[in-house]
Amino acid sequence: MAPDYDVEFIDRGDRDREARFLVRDVSPAFANGIRRAMIADVPTLSIDEVRVIENSSVMFDEQIALRLGLVPLTTPDDYEIGETVTLALDVEGPGTAYSGDLVSTDDRVEPADKNVPIIDLKDPEGSETPQRLEVEADAVYDVGREHAKHQGGVAVGYRHLQTVEIVGDADEYGDDDPHILRGVIEEDGELIPTEEFDHDLTQRYPGKEVEVHDVPNAFVFHVETDGSMSVDELVTQAVDTIHGRASELKDAVQL
Amino acid sequence: MMVPVRCFTCGNVVGEHWEEFKARTQDGEDPEMVLDELGVERHCCRRMLVSHKDLVDIVAPYQ
Repeated sequence: MAPDYDVEFIDRGDRDREARFLVRDVSPAFANGIRRAMIADVPTLSIDEVRVIENSSVMFDEQIALRLGLVPLTTPDDYEIGETVTLALDVEGPGTAYSGDLVSTDDRVEPADKNVPIIDLKDPEGSETPQRLEVEADAVYDVGREHAKHQGGVAVGYRHLQTVEIVGDADEYGDDDPHILRGVIEEDGELIPTEEFDHDLTQRYPGKEVEVHDVPNAFVFHVETDGSMSVDELVTQAVDTIHGRASELKDAVQL
Repeated sequence: MMVPVRCFTCGNVVGEHWEEFKARTQDGEDPEMVLDELGVERHCCRRMLVSHKDLVDIVAPYQ
């Protein structure tokens, strides 16, 4: 394990849901370990069991339950695996039932996105009562390994930090094809996201022949969350789970 | 039927943006610009909204 690692933010998106940061001096295996932990090992709350009291909408109970399960819920960090929170939804047509109509018993738990349409409810002609959806749902605190709806991280990945070396002049009568590179490059200690030159190295180094090299043990992570927690919480909790498992292993293996 | 809650490929919540996307594109705005402004960046998430058709109104009478 690398004892001295270094983390540097490159950019942070809005609403704490997106970030790009550079981690130096970690092994490729550890970088991948963090990525996997962010996807599979950080628990979030998600609706798992739905008790349908009335559903006269055009969708089956199971379809409604699936849609409710996919709605991200804000997740406080003091829950235990398997713990549940009860939520309720009661909407009568004509109108749309939204994720924001879910009412929770714990005020820290609420839908992270409030505008997700669950089902359109109508007031059909010839029917005595309008369509109605009334459900009671249990959200369970569990890890992404159990079901994708519990994944807090969305599109989590990393690339190597790269350097560009000028090896000579470009062929004078050569074809001027773009040289596309996506990610972040390092130039004299400065970090430059490739968006700055439209991902095209021929724009930044005109008339030069260049070679791109990976910087060893430096990784640029791109992390997005579904809104159930902030990027900071997701990353620190992911590292905590690795730490927890490592110390568990250390205790279990006695030489 | 109803718009999918999440992107099938990456799991990003796309249902959130559907009503605004629908309203703005029906007003004649360019879908490409609307998606950019909504922050739906990846092409996997974009296709979820671009290729969606609400069918609840068509199914509703046959309850």
